[in-house]
Amino acid sequence: MAEVAQSPESFLPLTQAVFHILLALADGEKHGYAVMQEIEDATEGRVQMGPGTLYGSIKRMLAAGLIEESDDRPDPTLDDERRRYYRQTGLGRKVLREEAERMAELMALARRKHVWSGAGSRSILT
Amino acid sequence: MRQSYGLPAPIDLSIRLYTLLLAAYPGRFRAEYGHHMAQVFRDVCRRDYRRRGLAGMTLLWARTSLDLLRTALEEHIERGIEMNREKFIRWSGWALMAGAVLFAVGLIIGSFDSFDMDPIGGVDAFYEITQAVGLTLGQVLFVFGLLGLRTGYTGRSRSLGARLLLLAVISSIVSFGGLLAMSSIEAAWQIWAAGFLAMTLTLAVFGIVAVRRRVFSRWNFAPILAGVGVPLLFGVGTVGVGTVSGTAPEWASLVAVVLTAFGLSVVGYRMQAEASRTAVTT
Repeated sequence: MAEVAQSPESFLPLTQAVFHILLALADGEKHGYAVMQEIEDATEGRVQMGPGTLYGSIKRMLAAGLIEESDDRPDPTLDDERRRYYRQTGLGRKVLREEAERMAELMALARRKHVWSGAGSRSILT
Repeated sequence: MRQSYGLPAPIDLSIRLYTLLLAAYPGRFRAEYGHHMAQVFRDVCRRDYRRRGLAGMTLLWARTSLDLLRTALEEHIERGIEMNREKFIRWSGWALMAGAVLFAVGLIIGSFDSFDMDPIGGVDAFYEITQAVGLTLGQVLFVFGLLGLRTGYTGRSRSLGARLLLLAVISSIVSFGGLLAMSSIEAAWQIWAAGFLAMTLTLAVFGIVAVRRRVFSRWNFAPILAGVGVPLLFGVGTVGVGTVSGTAPEWASLVAVVLTAFGLSVVGYRMQAEASRTAVTT
């Protein structure tokens, strides 16, 4: 499925769910619940993803080649082997970087227009 | 999925109910992700019950019900679109194959017409009518087939391939217009020929893209076969409207027609064989 070769820019802007999933996988592979947990922790509970949103997004991201399934298990004895682990692909990393740059440019524009000072910010997504 | 492992009743009941509600998703999605969704839901149930008891479970159900309703609807809509795309690509593959056969049969049988430019009728009526019908129907099917090719393979062939296929579709429409205008406009033959030449030429260039980027799962050279014959024939001579050969040698015209038809048939065959894959991945 990952054979679809598209430029990273063609995926932008990302949906909130896809952006958060890619971000959650930025520091290593995770299974679905760990991704969900990471997103809730990182956003202090402001983004709570349901199983349908999570796996619907995962399905589309796998088809687009942004993430892939991983066969590795951190510790098979401690984990249910039926859990699926996911990790970013090279394309996924590029897309995430492009999206972060796009957001940074928007923030810079907001700062120039005195809409946002950048101090005491909660989250760029809220 | 129904193991309770001595879970508190609200959690056990919730998991059972959620597992039942998963039936709202399309079968393929459920088969692929249903177990994992139920597993994630179970983990969240445990966490929220541990943290906030029944109040936590109530909030979780409020969130999950909305999520389930929205995403089940999304998945059904997406599946419907995929099915329609799949059908369109499959049928346009068949159209390209049928068009190729009609095109070849029309031109080859038409070449037996002994009087090139006489009106349709007389002793050569069979050859002339076969040619007119074969070419016209064939051209309609080419337009349909090339539209399907563009729909299915734009993503894989990237922007260059997408532009080439768009040009091929436009050229095939121009060529069809030329055929329709044959009886009323003198320059219609040139319009048909120019459209057909542009269509095959762009297909040949698309074939190079296909070979380089492995657009099809196999036989990526097929668009080159489909597209190279007619431009070569135009290059060495000119193809006549009433005959296959025109001023080019008879055998060269025959080879060009057969090559074009064979190439288009192979492209059509790949399209219908790969329809379910291309409908999802592009």
